[in-house]
Amino acid sequence: MKKYTLTALLLAAAGFAGTAAQADKLDDIISSGKLRCAVVLDFPPMGMRDENNEPIGFDVDYCNDLAAALGVEAEIVETPFPERIPALMSNRVDVGVASTSDTLERAKTVGFSIPYFAFEMVVTAAEGTDITSFESMKGHTVGAVAGTYEAIALEEYVNEWGDGSEFRPYQTQADVFLALAQGQLDATVSTSTVAQANVKSGNFGGIEVVASAPFDIDYVGLFAKRDEYGFLNYLDLFVNQQIRTGRYDELYEKWVGGDVPSLTVPGAYR
Amino acid sequence: MFDYTFQWKQALARLPKMLDGAVITMEVAIISMLLGILFAILLTMFRQTKSRPLNAIATTWIEIARNTPALFQIYMAHFGVASFGIHFSPFTSLLIGITFNNAGYLAENFRGALKAIPDTQARAGQSLGMSPVQSFRYIVLPQMLRISFLPMTNQMVWAILMTSLGVTVGMNSDLYGVTQDLNALTFRTFELFAIAGVIFYIITKVITLSARLIAARLFRY
Repeated sequence: MKKYTLTALLLAAAGFAGTAAQADKLDDIISSGKLRCAVVLDFPPMGMRDENNEPIGFDVDYCNDLAAALGVEAEIVETPFPERIPALMSNRVDVGVASTSDTLERAKTVGFSIPYFAFEMVVTAAEGTDITSFESMKGHTVGAVAGTYEAIALEEYVNEWGDGSEFRPYQTQADVFLALAQGQLDATVSTSTVAQANVKSGNFGGIEVVASAPFDIDYVGLFAKRDEYGFLNYLDLFVNQQIRTGRYDELYEKWVGGDVPSLTVPGAYR
Repeated sequence: MFDYTFQWKQALARLPKMLDGAVITMEVAIISMLLGILFAILLTMFRQTKSRPLNAIATTWIEIARNTPALFQIYMAHFGVASFGIHFSPFTSLLIGITFNNAGYLAENFRGALKAIPDTQARAGQSLGMSPVQSFRYIVLPQMLRISFLPMTNQMVWAILMTSLGVTVGMNSDLYGVTQDLNALTFRTFELFAIAGVIFYIITKVITLSARLIAARLFRY
C-alpha cells in the first residue's frame, strides 16, 4: 500500500514538474515580476545616459511601457550592439528593445515583433572634404558602428566601389564620430536621429550632415527567442497598442521630434 | 537554461572568410614579433648603457608596455596619436600597439636572460681584443636569445591573441574582426565564435609545438 502511495506521489510531483516546465517565457516574466530588456545605451536618442548616469531614451521608455503593460518591474540591461544576441541566448535578458533591424538573415536566429520604429539614414561628413552626396563617398575612407544595419549596407557599397574606398567598423557610435572629427574617417552613415544628436551635442567639431543615404527604410523590431510564440504575439499586440493609443507619437515627440515615420509598408500585410 | 539550436552549416559556410582572417592575424603577429624583438634588443642595450636619456627612454617604454592594458596601447596608437594629427590605418595602429607591447615584455625577458650570463664572459671577450659591442654581439646576444627563446614563444602566442583587440580601432580583416562582421550579419554568435576560438587554439598550438621542435634542433649541445 505504502508503495502505491509513494508511486502516486512521485507521479503527481512529476506531473507538476511537467506543467512547470511547459510555462513559457510570458509566464516566466509574469511570475518573476521582472522584465529584463537589452538596450543599447550608446545610441542617442534611443538609448543613452543622463547626468546621473541613469539610462534614458526612447528604447528605455519603451521597455518601461512594456513592463508596465505586463505588470512587472523593468530592468534595463546595457548591451553594446554586437552583444545583443549573446545576452538573449544566455538568458541574461528576456527581450531586446535595442533598435534592432529585422533582416531576414537575422530572423533565422531570433524572433522579431512587428516594427516599433523606423530609421532614415544620412551621411555625415567632415568639413573640408568634397563629400556632398552618398555617391561622392566613393574613394574615401568611411565608417559606421560594427554590427548595425547601416554598417552592413555601407560595407557592401564600399566593396562594390573599390578603388581607394575603405570601410572601417568601429565598436561604438562615439568612436565613429571621434574618428570623423579627428579626420581618420571622411564620412559616416548613421541614423538621422543619431547624426543630428551628435552634430548638435558640440562634442565633435567640424562635422555636418550632408545628404541622405539611399538605403531602404530601416525598420526595427523588438526581439525575443524565436520559439517563444506566446511572448512574440504579446510583443506584436503591444507595439500595435502603442501606436493605437498615441503613445508612439508621444514618445517620438519627446525624444526625436518632427514627422513621425509610418511603420507600415504600403501594399503589404504585417 | 541554454536553449539554442546550433546551426553549424550556416557558420561553416563562412569558414573560408574566417581562414582569410586567420592569415591576416598571423601576419600581424609575426611582423609585430620580428619588430618587437628588434626593439627589445635595442631597449636592452639602452638599459645597459650609462647614458641617462637612453636609460630613461627604455625604462619609460617598458614600464608603460608592461603596466597598462594592451587595449589601451592599441587604442592610443589609433585615437591617441590622431589627436596630434597623425593618422594610422587600423592595421598599422594594431601593429604598432602590439609591437610596443611585445618590445616591452621581451626587453624584460632579455634582461632576465642577461642576468644568467656571467659578466666575466663579456670581459673575457674584451680581453681578447673585442670591442664592447663586438663582445655583446658575438658572445652575449646569442646566449641571451637562446635562454629567452621559450619565453619568446609565449609572447608570440600572446601577440596572436592580442590581434583580437584590433576591432576597437576599426579592424575588420583579422580573424576576430571577420567573425564579428559575420556575427552582425547572421546573429549566429555562438557557432561563429566557437569556430574562431578553435582556429585561435590551433594557431597557437602549432606555434608552441613548432617552437619546441625548433628549440630542440637549434639548442642541442
